[in-house]
Amino acid sequence: MSMSSVARLAGTVVLVATCAFAAKAQTSGEPVKIGAIVSVTGAGAGLGIPERNGMLLAEKTINAKGGINGRPIRLIIEDDASNPDTALSKANELLFGQKVIGLLGPSLTASTVAVGGVTHANKIPQIAFTGIGPAVEKERKCVAHVLPPQKLNAQALLEYAKSIKAAKVGVLHDAGYGNVVMAEIRPIAESYGVKLVAVEKFEVGATDTTTQAAKVKAAQPDAVFIIATSATPFRNVKQLQMTQPVVAAIGSSSYEYVNAMGPGADNVVIPEFVVGEDPLPHQKAFVDLYKQTYNSTPKNFETAGWDAVHIMAQAIGKAGPNATPQAVCDAMRGPYSGVLANYDFAADDMTGIPLSSYVFSKLVGGKYTRIPFRIAQ
Amino acid sequence: MTLSLVLQAVFAGVTNGMVYALVGMGLAAIFKGSRVINAMQGEFSVIGAMTTVLLLTKAGWPYPAAILGGSLAGALVGAFIEVAFVRYMAAKNASEDSFLLLTIGLALTLSASILFFVGRDGHLLPPLGGEGVLIVLDAVMQFHALWLIAIGIAVTLLLRAFFHRTTVGLSMMAASIDADGAATTGINVRRMRTFTFILGGLLGAVGGILVTPLIGVDYQLGLNLTLKGFAAAVLGGLTNPLGAAVGGITLGLVESLAIIGISSSYKDVVAFSVLIVIMILMPHGMLGRAGRRGG
Repeated sequence: MSMSSVARLAGTVVLVATCAFAAKAQTSGEPVKIGAIVSVTGAGAGLGIPERNGMLLAEKTINAKGGINGRPIRLIIEDDASNPDTALSKANELLFGQKVIGLLGPSLTASTVAVGGVTHANKIPQIAFTGIGPAVEKERKCVAHVLPPQKLNAQALLEYAKSIKAAKVGVLHDAGYGNVVMAEIRPIAESYGVKLVAVEKFEVGATDTTTQAAKVKAAQPDAVFIIATSATPFRNVKQLQMTQPVVAAIGSSSYEYVNAMGPGADNVVIPEFVVGEDPLPHQKAFVDLYKQTYNSTPKNFETAGWDAVHIMAQAIGKAGPNATPQAVCDAMRGPYSGVLANYDFAADDMTGIPLSSYVFSKLVGGKYTRIPFRIAQ
Repeated sequence: MTLSLVLQAVFAGVTNGMVYALVGMGLAAIFKGSRVINAMQGEFSVIGAMTTVLLLTKAGWPYPAAILGGSLAGALVGAFIEVAFVRYMAAKNASEDSFLLLTIGLALTLSASILFFVGRDGHLLPPLGGEGVLIVLDAVMQFHALWLIAIGIAVTLLLRAFFHRTTVGLSMMAASIDADGAATTGINVRRMRTFTFILGGLLGAVGGILVTPLIGVDYQLGLNLTLKGFAAAVLGGLTNPLGAAVGGITLGLVESLAIIGISSSYKDVVAFSVLIVIMILMPHGMLGRAGRRGG
């Protein structure tokens, strides 16, 4: 290597180092530690992995913009392996060992309820990646939720059924997630002018639901709801040559399931929040940044991760540099315009997402497209 | 309840039943040949199906070659497990419980490996006979399901002929009924046990490949198949691989008829109650006694 190339190399190194320094230079001081618990392994990994990606991108972006009032944030992310016991012990370590100022996650309802017991008792702000679950969560005013309660998902499905004038609806649902949403649909269906003509259940992870689908078909519904976390019922409905519009709950909205639906994915409509292929104007900047960084298209859970970090950072900033967790918790309670939805954490359900935040996607040739239908405010 | 709904339930029941049967036959073949309850039988199906998917989509092999490759992968993994683990443990007189624990461990390991190397996504294979369907009285059956049933029946008959007519099959049966006696007549009992695992792996893989166009394959399918296959095998008589075929079809039919007859909410309650009654009336399984006579 000649002298000049050595000099050039050294110059480049200095330049790169300076650039890196320049990016970092905007933040200084002790980092603000925020804990996070997500399910990166186990049954909830389909939620936890995208949530983690969204959070990491938010951390990087916030720090590049100067952190919280000049101080960088540092996320300490732990995996609960989709297990509430693990979530609880990781939460204790983060809250009392690492002394984080707030907690993000967990990904699953059971874990959220377990961890919420600690954050609530100690007035530590928590932003969960779940919709509000059992009644006890209503009293936990330091536990915010960035995803909607199942009742809202039920309403969104029925709103769409009403819009396509489906008076008779058949439902295929699984015995887990599907059961919970179904319990919310039953009492309100009639008020949307919807009669449930067949409601058929199958176990979580069922490999075949043809017979259940055949019963729904025999009831001759105008539309079919599928509420499940699997691709099986979608394929079976297609295999039985059912021609009714299929509306699916948000739980099956990921390419992981869509790819496994095969031809069954065609024309399925899903009420959700982010259609990465065609985002709403206020979602575009996030979607573009995400695509650049990860080379994949973000959906609801990536966005929830991104929003949660921003909500927490904003609350910490608002509460001031030496604020207690309780002060951050108080600062968090109020409206926030996120990428996923417009929240109001002062609302009774600790999320305040309005139905108008839903967008409706339709699967065309195995790809998401956004349809114009929106629910009025 | 209309006739077409009943017919649809029968179609679905026989199709699912044949899948349970293929998994169950592999399980029973391995149990018969080695007294190992193979809790990773469903994993053979996942390996066979995933290999076929990868050969077809990533390596660009033609479909028949990919199917052959997938089936061989199942057989190879079966052989590997016998040679690497079972043989060693059997030499030390491991108990049936130890073998069960081994296969449970292997099932979890394989499932996790597939998750790590292939990912979470579900995959489908193209249906044999195309996307066409047979419609009888409004009840729909995919051509592929017909292929699945036909191949399932062929495999069952071949298996029967194999155990009754070929030297290897007869030797395998002899080795399983009386290992010492078989050894004195010059049968290599250890090799026969390897063959049983190859056979079990092959049957599992074939089942997995056949079912993938209908239900898709992902890393967590294995356990589901094992449980249903195990129920089929026990129902038919665990010592008789052909019993698993009868058990599988029975289970599939009872399940789907329970859905239309009673309610999908009580499907498992009804299906498993029927199984309990069958087991009380026929404690050796539906074809268990035939199995004791040697299948």
